[in-house]
Amino acid sequence: MDVNFHLRQGEMAFLTGHSGAGKSTLLKLITVIERATAGKVSINGHNIANVDSKHVPYLRRNIGMIFQNHHLLMDKSVFDNIALPLVIEGFSHGEIRKRVAGALDMVGLYGKERHLPIMLSGGEQQRVGIARAIVNKPPLLLADEPTGNLDPKLSMDILRLFETFNDSGTSVLIATHDLGLIARMKYRTFTLRQGRMLGGESTDREVMR
Amino acid sequence: MSKKPNITQSKLPLSGRIVMFFIRHVQQGMSSMGELWRSPVSSIMTMAVLGVSLSLPAALQVLVKNAENITQSWNNAAEISLFINTGRSEQSIQSLLSRVKAFREVETVSYISRDQALEEFQRLSGFGEALSYLDDNPLPAVVTVTPSVKYSSPTGARELLVKLEREPEVNFGRLDIEWLERLQALLKLLEKTVLAIAALLVLAVVLVIGNTIRLAIMNRRTEIEVMKLVGATEAFIQRPFLYTGIWYGVIGGVLAWLIINILVWYLDGALAELLGLYGSQLTIQSLTFAELIKLVLLASFLGWLGSYLSVRQHLRNIEPS
Repeated sequence: MDVNFHLRQGEMAFLTGHSGAGKSTLLKLITVIERATAGKVSINGHNIANVDSKHVPYLRRNIGMIFQNHHLLMDKSVFDNIALPLVIEGFSHGEIRKRVAGALDMVGLYGKERHLPIMLSGGEQQRVGIARAIVNKPPLLLADEPTGNLDPKLSMDILRLFETFNDSGTSVLIATHDLGLIARMKYRTFTLRQGRMLGGESTDREVMR
Repeated sequence: MSKKPNITQSKLPLSGRIVMFFIRHVQQGMSSMGELWRSPVSSIMTMAVLGVSLSLPAALQVLVKNAENITQSWNNAAEISLFINTGRSEQSIQSLLSRVKAFREVETVSYISRDQALEEFQRLSGFGEALSYLDDNPLPAVVTVTPSVKYSSPTGARELLVKLEREPEVNFGRLDIEWLERLQALLKLLEKTVLAIAALLVLAVVLVIGNTIRLAIMNRRTEIEVMKLVGATEAFIQRPFLYTGIWYGVIGGVLAWLIINILVWYLDGALAELLGLYGSQLTIQSLTFAELIKLVLLASFLGWLGSYLSVRQHLRNIEPS
């Protein structure tokens, strides 16, 4: 992979390309699910390509991740799903309730705390995933095909949601192959083709924010 | 230039983290207990296996303890019988008695004269009147010597016997402790056997718990992946499993204790009858409260160890992809 790009702090951008172009791999490099064999990935000036594996959890707490198949725990309530990052970080119970309520409100699912994910529609499940990603207010939000299974209207709603997070200062990078969606919005787009970056300007090597 | 926050560390202040650390421990400990209740059948099966596995070494421990307790009373019963040469005057025997009494190895000395010996023999042997037809008393006088506590061990008593046999009045002495030595060797063997069997069963407990935890980890694979994705540390993820192992150990230990008590209660009657035949007043001893605590502590440690080994091995392999 030969990729050079820089996502500025507070910027929202799209990452696009055909299936297999390396979108997911790129996101995995940023979240240290996979490690780069060469080159540099840095967040906030920290090189994370060779970060010690015991620091990886703390790194991931700073990145909200949203997945196409949303990775929810199906046997846990919506509340428990969203609270997971807060529980892991060791917030008090009162704080957790407050923040989960806030996150649910933002994604428009207020009042569905007690539901199980299975009782929700696909779009609602995706929103639960988004609420979990933003509940601990990470400075960076990564979304891998967040609208993959949704119809155009729901997809647009989800993107509007990302815009509101971006408005409050969160950097957002959305990987998608839905070019129609991208065309309707005026954000920078990085295009990957067979592991190479087309368009987008290059700064450092592979630098985030 | 603005200060860059360190992204590879926790955001919460240290004091809050410490408090929450303990609260989380209690919560995770309790919730893993609840987790066990959610699948009662498999949990109970595992606990039963642990209980039975632990009850066997514990039962052997009870056996050794009781055997030692019984032989303790026999240990000090070592007595030396000295048979006096016939034809010695009463006077020389009395002087022997006073000399032997002065030995520091000797606790008590008692003397059975030839006449007394005959009388006793008549009474106990059942020959009765027949003996009175004898012209002469064939029995020697006997001096019974009880060694002091320090010399009541088989070797000590033997030393004393050699010393006593050097006395001119003494024909020969007898020390009836060979059976005691054999018993002690037997006990030693029993103890070693118990230790070996206990070691094997302890290993079995660790393996059973390790395997149970391995299955639990496999069952919650997706959950673990998600937790890793949202930034859970290994310590956080493994804690519920470690608590589960400890709970298994604790409950298995208590179960073993119950099994032992039932066993002792079941055997008590039969044993009392047996001991009654030997004129002994000993009652069978079960595990004391301190031993229960020790058993449960050991079991919970084994539970922790088993799950720790399992968690170390399997948790690392689960990574989000």
